[in-house]
Amino acid sequence: MNQRGACIADCLCGRLAVLLSRKCVIDMTNKKKRAKIAVKEQRAAYLFLIPALLGLTFITYVPLLAVFGISLTDLNVGHFIKGGTMPPVKYVGFENFKEIFRNPSIDFLNSIKVTVVFALVAVVLSIIYSMLIAMLLNRKMPGRGFFRAIFYIPYILPATAVMISWWFLLKYDGGLINYILVSLGLGKSYFLSAAKSAIPSLAMIAVWTSGNLIVIFLAGLQNVPRVYHEAAEIDGANAWQRFWNITIPSMTPIIFYNLLMSLVVNLQVVVPALAVTKGGPGKSTMFMTYLMYQTGFRGRELGQAGAIAFVFFIVAAILAFILFATSKSWIYDEGGEDKK
Amino acid sequence: MSESAVQTGAEKSYKRIRSSIHSKKRSQQIADTVSFLVIIILAALVMLPIWWMIRSSLMKSLEIFKWPPQFFPKEWLFSNYNIKPTTFDFWRYLGNTLTIVVPSVVFGTATATLCGYAFARLRFRGKALLFSLCVGSMLLPTMVTLIPLYIAWSSLGLTDTYWPLILPYLCGGGAFNIFLIRQFIKTLPRELDESASIDGASYFRTLVSIILPSIKPAIIVVALLIFITTWNDLLQQTIYISSREKYTIAVGLTTFMGSFKNDYAGMFAATCLSFLPGVVVYLLGQRHFVEGIVMTGMKN
Repeated sequence: MNQRGACIADCLCGRLAVLLSRKCVIDMTNKKKRAKIAVKEQRAAYLFLIPALLGLTFITYVPLLAVFGISLTDLNVGHFIKGGTMPPVKYVGFENFKEIFRNPSIDFLNSIKVTVVFALVAVVLSIIYSMLIAMLLNRKMPGRGFFRAIFYIPYILPATAVMISWWFLLKYDGGLINYILVSLGLGKSYFLSAAKSAIPSLAMIAVWTSGNLIVIFLAGLQNVPRVYHEAAEIDGANAWQRFWNITIPSMTPIIFYNLLMSLVVNLQVVVPALAVTKGGPGKSTMFMTYLMYQTGFRGRELGQAGAIAFVFFIVAAILAFILFATSKSWIYDEGGEDKK
Repeated sequence: MSESAVQTGAEKSYKRIRSSIHSKKRSQQIADTVSFLVIIILAALVMLPIWWMIRSSLMKSLEIFKWPPQFFPKEWLFSNYNIKPTTFDFWRYLGNTLTIVVPSVVFGTATATLCGYAFARLRFRGKALLFSLCVGSMLLPTMVTLIPLYIAWSSLGLTDTYWPLILPYLCGGGAFNIFLIRQFIKTLPRELDESASIDGASYFRTLVSIILPSIKPAIIVVALLIFITTWNDLLQQTIYISSREKYTIAVGLTTFMGSFKNDYAGMFAATCLSFLPGVVVYLLGQRHFVEGIVMTGMKN
């Protein structure tokens, strides 16, 4: 197991693996006295890690490499039907990539745009909303646990049921939200049934379901040292200054974590399209994951779907990279100096 | 300066400090009250859609979209919940969903605990590398691996079974959960399990009898998270399950949504029914839940 694990790891990370194992060897020689325990310990560790090793290999990293390979073939769902009459799988080079970008009925660029816009809007609004709620819930108040549960509940409801509910709530005629808008003297909106308002509406629903972010922010807020606040208060800082100069800086690692995680989740948005909008109206909610589903399982073109998945991976990686690259300038590192 | 003048001066400054403390306390109180009121309003807004679904599920189809809408049904028609099994077979779908969810949660949590323990406490070669691969996979969108996995499962002839939906969870239940357990175990004092291993207990026994009881909140968090993920995974359920008698709640609901003919009351009732299991599970574990996430110290 050890040997094979090291081998796979080597293939994946090349030099990194060599470097790390060298460091481990040094560690091991330093602990020669404990060698006997270490062998037993090591065996136990590998035994415990078998599930994770299998998962990382076969569910995560091998499929990641395979998806690129698949995108270079004309693989079809038909190849997996017993007794099918599909010609054998062919290598087609970059044809699938050309096809998805050129074919106007796939309209991949629109899909990328829609997905990225949705993800960015949903992420930013969810972060602001959940931070606000967490700040409020962090104060002394009766029934805190109860309110925490209230804000968390939308997250635990099944996403499909949530989407169906909102479809009816946002109906043009007789929908609750339009009733509220009219009562407030505002105009009605088509929400999910108009191309222009579909993405903002879905982002709003995403905000409603972001209770998990609230819990993580709350956890973070409880770790902000009280002394900082007290010290600032004695120095005469007002609430806003304290929020901006103490709470936010000490929360930046958690804000970063939440940004990253909700970005990964929201980029993969698919349930709204799958459950209600079916990519419409027009192609305004033709998210990349839904397009992949359509191409791969409705259109049966697994090769093209693989190409979509691969481009998606690149897009997600670019966004995550931007987040990581800028993080150094705004994450306040407690061990280091203050940001300049 | 006379003595009394000094005294009044001291008294004055004392009074000033006292009143400033007093006003600070009062402003604090006002802030607390205001945020409490804001929370009540926001909570009401957050709950309103759910209440709307529940009240709609108890009305006649014709009343649901009446203008102006009623906030409470005129008569509570619980009979709406008698949905014909041919349109939405709730109990069967629930059973099917649980066939996926229960093994995923049980084995996912168990394997995540094993892996998290190994990462938190045991020393072994290649730990840093393995751990970074594990954390790295948290960032990898599952959507990317969907097509290769579909190909793998269908070459094994496992489409239209629940295996493709369950088996991935037997592999540590996802990197995030391993990470969570690891973080939680790291907050425990090392002496706790070191004394046990000196006494000659095996690592597995240390884990089960010493570590496990102290990480209960984390276990509950992980179980709940796996529950939610499997419950919500409409895409994979749609891809792998094709025969009607194997439908899950999510797939059944989507199908109902796509085909219902003005049976609004039934539609709303079905939707509300599918809210239930999640809410029940959450309320059962609620108490431990936030504690679990707080104690893992998300900072590291």
